[in-house]
Amino acid sequence: MSVVGEILRQLLRFGLYAGIQVLLVGQLSLFGLGWCFLYLGFVLFLPLRTPIALQLLLGFALGLAIDISYDTGGLHAAAAVLLAYLRPWVLRLLTPRDGYDAQDTVNVHQMGWQWFLVYLLLLVGVHHAVYFFLELGSFQHPLLTLAKVGVSVVFTSVALLIVQLLFFPVRRGRS
Amino acid sequence: MRNLVAFLLRYQGVMLFVLLEVASLFLFITNSSYQRAAFFNSANTYAGAVLARRTQVSDYFKLDELNRQLLADNAQLRQQLYPPDFTYREADSLPVGRDTLGHVIYRHLRPDPSVALAGPASPTPGPNPKQPNALARPDTLLLGSAKVAARDAAYPLVPARILNNSLRAVDNYLTLNVGEADGVQPGLGVMSAGGVVGQVKSVSAHYATVFSLLHSKMAVAAKIKRDGTFGSVKWPGDDYSHALLDYIPRQNRLVVGDSVVTSGYNAVFPEGVLVGTVESFVKEADKNFWTVKLRLAVDLAALPTCTWCTTAPAPSATRSKRPSRPPSLPRLSRLK
Repeated sequence: MSVVGEILRQLLRFGLYAGIQVLLVGQLSLFGLGWCFLYLGFVLFLPLRTPIALQLLLGFALGLAIDISYDTGGLHAAAAVLLAYLRPWVLRLLTPRDGYDAQDTVNVHQMGWQWFLVYLLLLVGVHHAVYFFLELGSFQHPLLTLAKVGVSVVFTSVALLIVQLLFFPVRRGRS
Repeated sequence: MRNLVAFLLRYQGVMLFVLLEVASLFLFITNSSYQRAAFFNSANTYAGAVLARRTQVSDYFKLDELNRQLLADNAQLRQQLYPPDFTYREADSLPVGRDTLGHVIYRHLRPDPSVALAGPASPTPGPNPKQPNALARPDTLLLGSAKVAARDAAYPLVPARILNNSLRAVDNYLTLNVGEADGVQPGLGVMSAGGVVGQVKSVSAHYATVFSLLHSKMAVAAKIKRDGTFGSVKWPGDDYSHALLDYIPRQNRLVVGDSVVTSGYNAVFPEGVLVGTVESFVKEADKNFWTVKLRLAVDLAALPTCTWCTTAPAPSATRSKRPSRPPSLPRLSRLK
């Protein structure tokens, strides 16, 4: 796929993830505790070879867009930048025995359930822990906050898994 | 030089990461301060328009609930307008004893109607000068059991709709569909029919961002309605239907169910607007004050459809006679 086409595709994804988050998913809450961070899917499912600087900038821009909608200042942006920074490390940690193929993407069908779940839970877990404790600014209500982190991890992971199963190609090679 | 470029390229990830983190943390930490540029919050024109459109759509799904709420409001208003005949009926006399002949003695609580009619018959029929003129009396709205002048030019009451509301964050905000063009300014108080909701944080032309009562830095100067003890209402950050009332001295007596209203001292809310009712109180060994738990008057989860923004009227002569504000009471206008 041409470079311009790829850029357009990623811009469209950016708009879709941010729009769906603000208009639909942000209203939902699980057990009155968990919140769905669906927009993380944009950063998590970027192509594997995206330059680190570009990933960081995209994460920052997306986080800031969510921050503006929910009046959280730079909270989402800070957590999303951390997520974008940690992603290459986790990818390196999870490298298959013979390295990544050129066509490999973050896709549950191609990389396998085990790889995908470890990748998702690790990054989403770190992101949510950082997000909720940063939001609190202290360790005043540790149990309540841990409950929020746990429920939100479940909520976000299930939502992203559904996105993967619905919209990502089963056969490798395309896109 | 080439080494420098190579160094920058090699560590571009780390440096950009640190830079962006510092930028976002700066935005996060300065978020709750006053007079922020209105761009980086939901009062921003574009974000406000998106949120307004979302409300338009989601309203359709809430029509049922809105209808029921309106019916209940209507019924309540009609009850106030057309009270049953016996609402104001009181006994005009009470039996207080018997005289020596065994007749019951009545004490009249109000002037005996027969005496009143025979006595000062008004010679000039016409409007009584003592009766207040309906036009001179300002129209009022009942907000949180306080009467607020609805058409006071100096302290306009701006009706607004809530576009966005959060409950479960540590610092919660609301977005309203009114802005500078409607006369809303940062620092105004926000109330709904039930009571206190929050305080305006920043405004753009047509939208406003509001500190919810559920904000870690929000403190409302309040008093207990029964005996007038001053305190300060703060939200501890866990449960969105409860808050704490601080600075009630330990020697004070408290009653479960006491109304807590705004004291009007921080000039954000008019005096007497309901904040909540006392639900429980305990004396903790290491504290000088009661730990009082309030149930908030406004149910912020059942999103009130409309609110009003206003400031408190300037302290009048009757107000300045009261004892001055205790120095320990936090001023809301100092909110940082």
